[in-house]
Amino acid sequence: MNNRALTKAFACVLAILTVGLLVGHTQAAPHRVEVHVKRFAFTPNEATVKRGEPVLLVLSSEDANHGLRFRQLNIDLRVNKGNSAQVQFTPDITGDFVGHCSVFCGSGHGGMTFTLHVVN
Amino acid sequence: MLRIALCSTILCAAALGGCKATPPGRFESRIASFAKHRVLIGDRDEKNPLANNAQTIADGKEAFSHYCIVCHGNDAQNTGVPFADHMSPPIPSLASAEVQTYTDGQLKWILDNGIFPSGMPASKGILTDDELWSIVIYLRHLPAAGSQGIPDVYNH
Repeated sequence: MNNRALTKAFACVLAILTVGLLVGHTQAAPHRVEVHVKRFAFTPNEATVKRGEPVLLVLSSEDANHGLRFRQLNIDLRVNKGNSAQVQFTPDITGDFVGHCSVFCGSGHGGMTFTLHVVN
Repeated sequence: MLRIALCSTILCAAALGGCKATPPGRFESRIASFAKHRVLIGDRDEKNPLANNAQTIADGKEAFSHYCIVCHGNDAQNTGVPFADHMSPPIPSLASAEVQTYTDGQLKWILDNGIFPSGMPASKGILTDDELWSIVIYLRHLPAAGSQGIPDVYNH
């Protein structure tokens, strides 16, 4: 094997390693935020995530149909009674975002809030 | 003591005027309308924070359907509501000048606090602020009277 062939082989190995590292990095598990909801509260009622970090928001209903909407983040996750639903997103702005139940569920519906803190 | 005084006052008023839900006279209606528009209903200068677009109108229509339709009908103009004219005061069409001349802030105030002594309830804490503001926008873009059918509850 001459030098040119060795160089090509080395370049190939380097490229494969680089691609592998990039793929491994981009497929890092998202920050999982699990929220349980029942009339008329979210548990927990707040979470902190980082800007630019993928977030997997999992909403589980313990009774009726519910939802969780963050108007500023353009997220509206809805879940049927007794089931779970999830949405993945990457927040690109920082701040404290107050989400509300987006499916009318009774007299306490308007007071149901979940605060998502997005930090740097 | 306060409770006794209140009950006595209500009994006296009932004895003098009766408890029947009779329609208010024209003079009474004019006085009440003036007082509500100019004095009693607050937040005249409050601005709607939501965008006035098709999505918000759809949101408002959905929020309105939670329970407003039971008294106001699907079209907010009393279509299919059997008791709309039998209350005192009668339930107004929300497309009427009487309602549409309120500012956005006043409409939100009414949704938040209700109107005593009409049958309009307070919705603060039952619906979210976003939902209530979206209803205000929906009220500015009402469909044609009768175009939305009759609320399900009156179809059985």
